[in-house]
Amino acid sequence: MTADLLAGLAAVLQWEVLGFLAIGVVLGAIFGSLPGLTATMGVAVLTPLTFWVSAEQGLAMLLGIYCGAIPAGGIPAILINVPGTPASIATSWDGYALSQKGHAGLALGVNALLSAVGQLTSIFFLAVAAFPIATFALRFGPAEYFGLALFGISLMAGVSGDRVIKGMLAGMLGLGLATVGLDPMTAYPRYTFGRSEFLDGISFVPVMIGLFGLAEVLIQISDRWGTLDKAPGKLGRIWPTWPEWKKMLPATFTGAGIGTFVGAVPAAGGDIGSVIAWEQARRLSRNKDEFGKGSLEGLAASCSSSNGAIGGAMTTMLTLGIPGDAVSAVLIGALLIHGIQPGPLLFRDHRSFIFSIVFLMTFAAVLMMVVGLLGAKPLARALRIPNPWLWGGIVLFGAVGSYALNNAVVDVWAMFVAGIIGFLLRKADVPLGPLVLGLILGPMMESNLRRALILGRGDWLGALTSSPIVVFFLVATVLSLLLPLLKKRQAA
Amino acid sequence: MTETGATTRSRTDLVVGALFLALGLYLVVSATALPAGSGGLPGSGFFPRIIGIVMALLSAALLVNTLRGSSTTAFDLSHGRVIGGVVGLTFVYLLLWGTGLFALRTFVFLVLFLRFLEQSWRASLTVAGALTAAIAAAFQYGLRVSLE
Repeated sequence: MTADLLAGLAAVLQWEVLGFLAIGVVLGAIFGSLPGLTATMGVAVLTPLTFWVSAEQGLAMLLGIYCGAIPAGGIPAILINVPGTPASIATSWDGYALSQKGHAGLALGVNALLSAVGQLTSIFFLAVAAFPIATFALRFGPAEYFGLALFGISLMAGVSGDRVIKGMLAGMLGLGLATVGLDPMTAYPRYTFGRSEFLDGISFVPVMIGLFGLAEVLIQISDRWGTLDKAPGKLGRIWPTWPEWKKMLPATFTGAGIGTFVGAVPAAGGDIGSVIAWEQARRLSRNKDEFGKGSLEGLAASCSSSNGAIGGAMTTMLTLGIPGDAVSAVLIGALLIHGIQPGPLLFRDHRSFIFSIVFLMTFAAVLMMVVGLLGAKPLARALRIPNPWLWGGIVLFGAVGSYALNNAVVDVWAMFVAGIIGFLLRKADVPLGPLVLGLILGPMMESNLRRALILGRGDWLGALTSSPIVVFFLVATVLSLLLPLLKKRQAA
Repeated sequence: MTETGATTRSRTDLVVGALFLALGLYLVVSATALPAGSGGLPGSGFFPRIIGIVMALLSAALLVNTLRGSSTTAFDLSHGRVIGGVVGLTFVYLLLWGTGLFALRTFVFLVLFLRFLEQSWRASLTVAGALTAAIAAAFQYGLRVSLE
């Protein structure tokens, strides 16, 4: 273990890798702090750039973007009441109120410092919990993997609020798209319409760029063109006083804990985690009335939880191969480009690589804290960049990046079509998360179900009740789908 | 809720339900043309058929919910003209992919894109020039991707 740890550290402590990490953090800070750009968009659009570098260098840049964009998403949330990423929704509730009271600098300082605390707490969880989880997952056979994939998709549909049926439909659409190409078991071509371009299936990264890049641009044009506030000119002091630290500490660790746990739940990311943590911190606080009106405790809980979700999501993604949130879903695609398949086998065969990821995330968290503290004023100024400039850059970067992956025009069109479909689905209130999950998990789900049935000689009941783990996943799947429906009925 | 608002909402979910139902039925029917497997063991058409059946059932549930009046979705297409213009411009740009000089067609696309989003001529020309140069430098000269 120690040798793997040192090897992982050595792989990271190279100037090229650290350079890519720093570039990623700065890009992440820019993507997160500009309301026209998001963390998922940043990772999706910039993934093609990592195609030309080593896995460590590419992953360093993408993790830098991830760890930089989520804290930076709090900057526009605080200054202009527009969350830079979905994870910073709860940050705007108290951050913007603080800004309105003339404490914008303090809110930005708290955001930078406690986001780092949230990230470091969850990275510690990743380092401690990932290996036991992966060791347990090594016992999984085809039936267990099928059950796990089914559970993952059902959870994402389940957390789609009152849109459970639409979430499940989106998941089915993703699974359907995943069947395009050669059958994973028999290599029989399916839904290729006689075109050789589709034999390898639908290219994952261009679809992600379309869903989270082009579709997001169209959504933003539709929803909030010309409606953004101006950032305040003066920020004031950034560093909290000692009494303020003492006041924030309990809420910080409540937030970090809840964020890490919620992030580890497949499909539930920092957006859900921060809302739950904010509400929990409000319940536990002596100053409940201050929440939503500029409470430092509320801000601490939301910042630490939205960032705590990062380590939780990475734990689930690395150990089980199931994305914890939208960004980790795109990261799976990036890892696959580099020939790395997330899952328990990664922990058996490439242990040092796991430690490299832990170290990269740790360095990124610390670096982003420094960028957040020193760069608060320039990042606040960057909010003045007109959105159309950013949108033009995203559309262009998305198209060129999609093409550059395989030098294939079909990938550019896949990006364009995915963008239009993603826009229309979001406008019709159909969540995109389950679609992405279906697309990622489809091949794993199908091949494992068919393997399980072959092993069980075609006996469905026998194959799917062969072990308590499978039964657990199937029961959990049913519960995760039924509970939101029952709650909705109760509320009605 | 106004009557027009309620009608728009239910119509959105009806369209979504109908489209997914059609897709589900297509998957079920098309899966019959794929090898079904033998000896009780699943073939290539097995998984698409299951997906199609589940999709059709879920769509039917959505349609029933909508017809019962429990739909809550509104399809709000604000700035539809601008979105149509952006999509159209991007479509034409992609249609011309591989023809002429990359830098020239990209610059023209970006100028039109920014002008369409009501940016001044000066801003459009400057930003389009900077973005084109940055993309060309990164991909054509940095990563040696052939974009011509």
